[in-house]
Amino acid sequence: MKAIEFNEITKSFGDFYANSGITFSINKNDVHCILGENGAGKTTLMNILYGIHKPDSGKLLINGSEVHFNSPLDAISHKIGMVHQHFMLIEDFSVLENVILGNEISEFDVIDFKKSREIINALIKKYRLNLNIECKISDLNISQQQKVEILKLLYRNSDILIFDEPTSVLSPVEIHEFFKIVDEFKSEGKTVIFITHKLKEVMEISDKVTVLSRGKVTFEKRTKDEGLDLSELSRAITGKEETHSDPENIKNDTEGEVVLTMKDICLFKDKLPKLKDFEIRLSRGEIYGVCGVEGNGQNEIADLIMGFENNYSGELIRLTKKVSIIPEDRNKKGMIKEYSIGENFVLKFKRNRYVSDNQVRKISEDVSQNFDVRLSSVDSDLDSLSGGNQQKVIFARELTADNDIIILMHPTRGVDINASGFIHKKILEERNKMKAILLISSDLDELIKLSDRLGVIYNGKIVKEFDKSELNRNYAEGQFSEKNPKNKFDIYEKIGMYMIGLADEE
Amino acid sequence: MDLISSILSITFLTQVFRMMTPYYFGANGANFSERGGVINISIEGFMNLSAFSFAMFGIISGNIFFSLLIAITINLIFSILFSWFTVKLKINQIIAGVGFNLFIAGLTKFLLMLIFGSSSNTHRFEGISDIDIFKKIPIIGGIVSDPLTLFCILLVFVSNFILYKTRFGLRLRSAGENPEAADTLGVRVRQYKFYGIMLSGILSALGGIWLASNQNSYSEGMIAGRGYIALAAMIIGKWKPVNIFFACLMFSAFEALEITLQISGTNIPTQLIQMLPYLITILVLIGFIGKTRPPAADGEAY
Repeated sequence: MKAIEFNEITKSFGDFYANSGITFSINKNDVHCILGENGAGKTTLMNILYGIHKPDSGKLLINGSEVHFNSPLDAISHKIGMVHQHFMLIEDFSVLENVILGNEISEFDVIDFKKSREIINALIKKYRLNLNIECKISDLNISQQQKVEILKLLYRNSDILIFDEPTSVLSPVEIHEFFKIVDEFKSEGKTVIFITHKLKEVMEISDKVTVLSRGKVTFEKRTKDEGLDLSELSRAITGKEETHSDPENIKNDTEGEVVLTMKDICLFKDKLPKLKDFEIRLSRGEIYGVCGVEGNGQNEIADLIMGFENNYSGELIRLTKKVSIIPEDRNKKGMIKEYSIGENFVLKFKRNRYVSDNQVRKISEDVSQNFDVRLSSVDSDLDSLSGGNQQKVIFARELTADNDIIILMHPTRGVDINASGFIHKKILEERNKMKAILLISSDLDELIKLSDRLGVIYNGKIVKEFDKSELNRNYAEGQFSEKNPKNKFDIYEKIGMYMIGLADEE
Repeated sequence: MDLISSILSITFLTQVFRMMTPYYFGANGANFSERGGVINISIEGFMNLSAFSFAMFGIISGNIFFSLLIAITINLIFSILFSWFTVKLKINQIIAGVGFNLFIAGLTKFLLMLIFGSSSNTHRFEGISDIDIFKKIPIIGGIVSDPLTLFCILLVFVSNFILYKTRFGLRLRSAGENPEAADTLGVRVRQYKFYGIMLSGILSALGGIWLASNQNSYSEGMIAGRGYIALAAMIIGKWKPVNIFFACLMFSAFEALEITLQISGTNIPTQLIQMLPYLITILVLIGFIGKTRPPAADGEAY
């Protein structure tokens, strides 16, 4: 039984074909993963399925009958629900208001809040979402916000659930929780569409995989039934024989000078403690990884080092003023998306001086070549680039500034495996140029692979530090292979326990 | 001592509540528009227009009820025009608002000359009279007996209910906070923006009508920036109907104080006293700015 059939779907934006003749189907009650590089057309296809875009040509069949969606309203009425990559929540509304919006239970336009509460609380209980429905969205962390999005789908009784990169913002513990919810959906006969970049997750959760590349379907296989393996999958995505082989992580032995010391730092925001007795030492030529569940003080560390936050107690010694940062939210803090690449670079120039259009174009061209950013024109603004390419541009700008300290926050979030391999390689290069690098991430693979030292942050405090040898040993042992897939979870689980505060403090 | 006793009098309190009326109609109207995400600074012009049309049709027809309906209808037409410009054509909302204000100021001046042959004011007419039954209620009746003022106070609760307890209010607010999110849930965002602006047109009409009725005539420049002060009251009131009500009371208290001071014959120059409400507006805004949070998508075209 087919839940969805795409038949020769084509959609173009100007000269650019986001989807060209996409044909494949999604079985009912499958967890179907859609993979592909940034800009391969996954999100466009999902927006077509959700009625946000209309295809230029081609047919879309839901449960065997052809449909023409004019707006999300039509998709919703076919019991299709979507959780967007950037959440569609109203920050100033409560959870309750966000969930009922658009499908309010009301009589003479007066909302029946009592009944709504009952229904939603029952759903929260059934799926163990653990949310307080009176909370404002702005008071929730990302994982909780995602649960609100899921709640919205459940409230609408959706049968086909689309998740656009749901795990890229979650910590390993939260991902585990999320997968449990997906399992529950499956056991109820729902169909789940899952867009992701993380291949291991695909192997773990999917029934079937479809790979898109440049707007076309390039690979399709059932995961368990047809025995798909990880290397076959990564080959299918990158199109290369030997894939994203991890860059060699060899650290030069010279001890670098300590450029950043934070000691006994306490920081309060809105009377809530964000950092307490926080300690860290960062030297040249090392990568210090900070891992933790989102909202445990990571953002505050960056704000302190950058000097955005001055109301702290404790000792902060920064031997250099030359600090670069890749912020956690590139859209809000990292770039002006209405500007071209070159213009975004000019923003960072130290002194005001005349800059000609040609110089700006030259910068755009250089970046596009050196950092492999695909551009339709040198003048095109960042808004027209895919998320991965935007990230590369910010990355390029921050590296060319040649600063001593580089703060990287989630550098590969929402970035495809080719691009993230490239970014990882560059990070190691910078480290070897004796830069002091602070890597804040929630991707454990990335952290273990790159960090020379790894600190686990919980409730505003580094609760545990792992050194290189510990990580190295565990990483080598933990390398994912078909023979010992279980092995890797030792170190992961250990770190995970510290992240959620379950490990005994030493 | 004279001054203090006159401030503490019932008459003063009555003044405060009466003068609050145009501010609250304007501010509450603007709030409905801004909650839907459209900044409507043409409240000043809307009040001007309705004051004029109320006076004109009142004098011509001699029927207040009829002229009230006509004045509201004309404002409704103008607000539909305003929403067509700002929501459908996505013209910058501030520019559209300034345009409406200037256009209406010119139009009323022109019609005043054309119909009444005067550059300053219309003839006198009989305004909306107080409700006698209400006057008999002890204390309250002495303070509030104007039907529009009464409606204003009722409006505080009604607006609060509409915004926070009804489907309409929830959807209107969603349009002003995050139209994209509302759209993905099937809320017809533009339609709600239209409704918000229309409500602001109707309510500000009542503000203008009150002013003309209270003065028993229309005179040029009689709105005297009350529409703008109403916007300030909306900001100080943090876009919440109840808070806006108190902000309006504050402004009207200063206006009443100004009149009391004038009557009491102090040595303070009257011009200085007349500055008071505006000075307070600026000071209060300086004090409040940064602490208030407008609807997240206020002023953005969608």
